[in-house]
Amino acid sequence: MAPLKYLEQEYPILDSNFRNFCATHGIFSEEDLLLHDLHVLVAFAEQQSTSERLKQGITQVLSIIDGQHQPWLNGMELLEDAQLNKHVLSTGCEGIDLLLQGGLRMGQLTELVGASSSGKTQVCLLATSNVAKKHMDGVVYLDTGNSFSPQRVIDFIRQNPDPAIDQAKHRILQKVMNRILCHSVFDIFTMFDVLHQLEVNLRSQKGDCQVRLLIVDSISSLVTPILGGGGSQGHALMTSAGFLLKKLAHEHNLVVLVTNHTVGGEGGISKPALGESWKSIPHVRLRLSHDQGSSIYNVSVLKHPSMASGKAARFTIYD
Amino acid sequence: MEVGRLPISASQRGKLISAGYTTLSSLSSLSPSDLALGAQTAWDMLHEDEMFPRITTSCLDLDNVLGGGINCKEVTEIGGVPGIGKTQLGIQLAVNVQIPVDYGGLGAKAIYIDTEGSFMVERVLQIAEACIEDMTECNGLLRKDFQAGQLKMHPNNILENIFYFRVCSYTEQIALTNYLDKFISEHKDVKVVIVDSVTFHFRQDFDDMALRTRLLSGIALKLMKLAKEHGLAVVLLNQVTTKYIEGSFQLTLALGDSWSHSCTNRVILYWNGNERYAYIDKSPSLRSASAPYSVTSKGIRNSASNCKRIRMM
Repeated sequence: MAPLKYLEQEYPILDSNFRNFCATHGIFSEEDLLLHDLHVLVAFAEQQSTSERLKQGITQVLSIIDGQHQPWLNGMELLEDAQLNKHVLSTGCEGIDLLLQGGLRMGQLTELVGASSSGKTQVCLLATSNVAKKHMDGVVYLDTGNSFSPQRVIDFIRQNPDPAIDQAKHRILQKVMNRILCHSVFDIFTMFDVLHQLEVNLRSQKGDCQVRLLIVDSISSLVTPILGGGGSQGHALMTSAGFLLKKLAHEHNLVVLVTNHTVGGEGGISKPALGESWKSIPHVRLRLSHDQGSSIYNVSVLKHPSMASGKAARFTIYD
Repeated sequence: MEVGRLPISASQRGKLISAGYTTLSSLSSLSPSDLALGAQTAWDMLHEDEMFPRITTSCLDLDNVLGGGINCKEVTEIGGVPGIGKTQLGIQLAVNVQIPVDYGGLGAKAIYIDTEGSFMVERVLQIAEACIEDMTECNGLLRKDFQAGQLKMHPNNILENIFYFRVCSYTEQIALTNYLDKFISEHKDVKVVIVDSVTFHFRQDFDDMALRTRLLSGIALKLMKLAKEHGLAVVLLNQVTTKYIEGSFQLTLALGDSWSHSCTNRVILYWNGNERYAYIDKSPSLRSASAPYSVTSKGIRNSASNCKRIRMM
């Protein structure tokens, strides 16, 4: 929270007279005002000659502070919001959709965990093509490993031939592909910049199509270089990233999909990377694995807000 | 945006927070940065891909499973047991990237980072001469009208266009990775960076495994960025180790699980009887397949066996 003097520009009532009054009580920033006893302050303000303006000033600062937190919601409002806004997006893969009771839910952060070459990027590309083609919504793809393959997305689009599409093939393909925006990010600060810019764009509703799917492939490669070591900044950045993604998902009704890799755990059993702090951040965690040499993949639920963990399914991704 | 998310040192952050500035908006008026520069639509990317030819490996079967060759703008990891031909493949790529555009190549230069000391100049000369011979033969066969039979390249030119770096410790390796960006900005015609091998200095005497993971993921991100920004191919050669998976010891690539996610494509070289095979282990757009190849005095070439079919897995 800012010192009071920087609020004057926007709120002229917080002039130097008001600030001097506050200073006599040791209040220099919004935080200090919160910690102070307001009744006492108002009583002192009444004794001043400019009591009306001072009381207006206090009310103004309190309303600024009020505007900085999320509004209170009751259960009915949350239910209404869930029913109206937080629908389910199909991933384009029947096996996963069946397991997740329809698909990926808006407003939730879904994590795909798996060893190398277990199909995480393939599922991301499949979901991208499905959202852009069937749902006709925008997709923002943050790629950290140069793995975004436009050719593969086209393969997926062409897999389910739609007679309507075949007719004006080239033009429609171009429209579908133009809904997919791919950013290459190679460090976590760039990712924050991109997400921040996305937030601004979503608030001002710029662009011709509504963004519905945000993919970060993979978030673990951005976090691993800074996690651990001496300081705790790595952990702070990781949890901060998680919160930002969840906030974007909730406020703008997005599906957020991130991928994570596995590391060796005790007894040679692999476990998801990024540690214990990250475990509680995603809403839904799915584990992927791949049978060597075949096109059959296994997916199992590690964590889900409304389903038992351990449920599994198999699906195929065709070449 | 919270101050905690800014790339500043901890002491600066502490000072900002104690002065009461916890959000960026409290410091100045928000000005949206122009980040549209970094984004591309999938349609643009598709058409850009067509502009970047692939680097051939001189082995037709291997090129076919790789979709034409090693792709620019991607990091490809190639690993295998000692003696399978990793360094040979690295040298072949360093020579092949220089094939002129008229002959279907990139006409570019190469950077070769040697960590093991296995770069033999005499062998490079041999491979370069064989490459020029092949090109002249191809020229003769197709009877090109322009410059009939006249190839301006000389093996010495090929040697001149390979920038060689020798690193002797992991700190040198990291320093070189940081320096590459500047070097490549000054030598814009470099189109392939080969690291032989990326493992060597990270295997012995590394006490702090967590530090190793952090350093390696940092290197991986920098190489990815290099590949993307300069549109070049990065080829990392890796060694193998044994790992206890599912009750038995199996051969896997070195440097651990976290490193296995640091490449775009992975190719594993292995022995099948007396033949050398290459297997596509990881790729976002290529299907898993293996192809035979051989190492001859001319470099990497097609396998000489009768059975030339590519085995699809």
